[in-house]
Amino acid sequence: MRRAAISLAMLCMASAAATVGRAASPVTSYTADPSASRLDFIGIQAGAEFKGTFRKFTAAIDFAPDALASSHFDVQIDLNSLDTMDDDRDTTMRGPDIFDIAHFPASHYVTRSFTKTPTGYSAAGTLSLHGVTKDVPIDFVFVSTPGGAKLEGTAKLNRLEFGVGQGDWKSTESVKDVVKVAFSLILKPRSLSE
Amino acid sequence: MPTQEPRTRFTAVAQLLHWIIAALIVTQFALAWTGRDLPLGTHKLALLAWHKSFGMTVLMLAIIRAVWRWANPPPELPAGMTPLERTLARATHVAFYALLFVMPITGWLMSSAKNYSVSWFGLFTWPDLIAQNKTAFEALKTTHDYLSGVLLGIAVLHILAALKHHFWNKDDVLLRMLPFTKSKRGL
Repeated sequence: MRRAAISLAMLCMASAAATVGRAASPVTSYTADPSASRLDFIGIQAGAEFKGTFRKFTAAIDFAPDALASSHFDVQIDLNSLDTMDDDRDTTMRGPDIFDIAHFPASHYVTRSFTKTPTGYSAAGTLSLHGVTKDVPIDFVFVSTPGGAKLEGTAKLNRLEFGVGQGDWKSTESVKDVVKVAFSLILKPRSLSE
Repeated sequence: MPTQEPRTRFTAVAQLLHWIIAALIVTQFALAWTGRDLPLGTHKLALLAWHKSFGMTVLMLAIIRAVWRWANPPPELPAGMTPLERTLARATHVAFYALLFVMPITGWLMSSAKNYSVSWFGLFTWPDLIAQNKTAFEALKTTHDYLSGVLLGIAVLHILAALKHHFWNKDDVLLRMLPFTKSKRGL
């Protein structure tokens, strides 16, 4: 009985410590303001760049410049929300030969570690897209603002490594393998109730 | 510039520009008609990429050609032509020159409006002229299509007129634009 009470007390303390530990962590937890943030991709079609954007995504950003070890990004992208300003192209990209959103409706990016670079920061992380998970590093700058922070950065990936492009689209003649990603996130602190 | 004896033939440069542009326009119609009804896919994109590269080539050549024509006026029309024929010939040529600019520029605008920027044979990308806009794209596409019909019409008229001059009037109007020939026939 007594042991049980001690165990319970220890468990409570441990969980309290965990809670405190999280709250006391020097990182700030943010979410991206959906209306002010952008997540764009830039492909090269027939020799010319074209830009598309994902209208729906969520970004949970835990970051502090002096606490890179405990910083963490988690980004969920609704692939159905892609918009390249051309309905034909959007429909084709949602279809089975490109994103195949019937089977892979979302893409997920999570970071593993961060390093300081001369111009900002670099994150190592994995991107899950089209049923494939691969390392994709991102480079970004982080600027604190009165209401939160601004996170701007880029990444580069090879679409064919993720199987994005089947059939004719496997060819890199008309659409190049490399795709650039550019993001500009307006971050607001996550409220404690979340 | 010193006045020279009036020219009886087009200059070699004018002939070269005329025939290169003519060949490009024939190619443009072939590419447009082949690509038009294809579903969006790599084949269509490839055909359209050629169409845009050739179209921008026409635009650049048209600029050179207009400057060359200004600096090197073409030979006079044959003396025997009626005022109506002269007016018709002039109107056709003015329309041709206008279309050499308007067709590529409306095409370029279409590409900009639809967010398919124009590359020149993959070597460089032309800047977008306008922001993406679906309504503008539809209006430009209609214009581009309609003017292609006008271009086809005046091209047929132009060819028929050249043949009429050659075989009916038996003057040198056709020969003076043909390389490797001599314009022996009188005016």
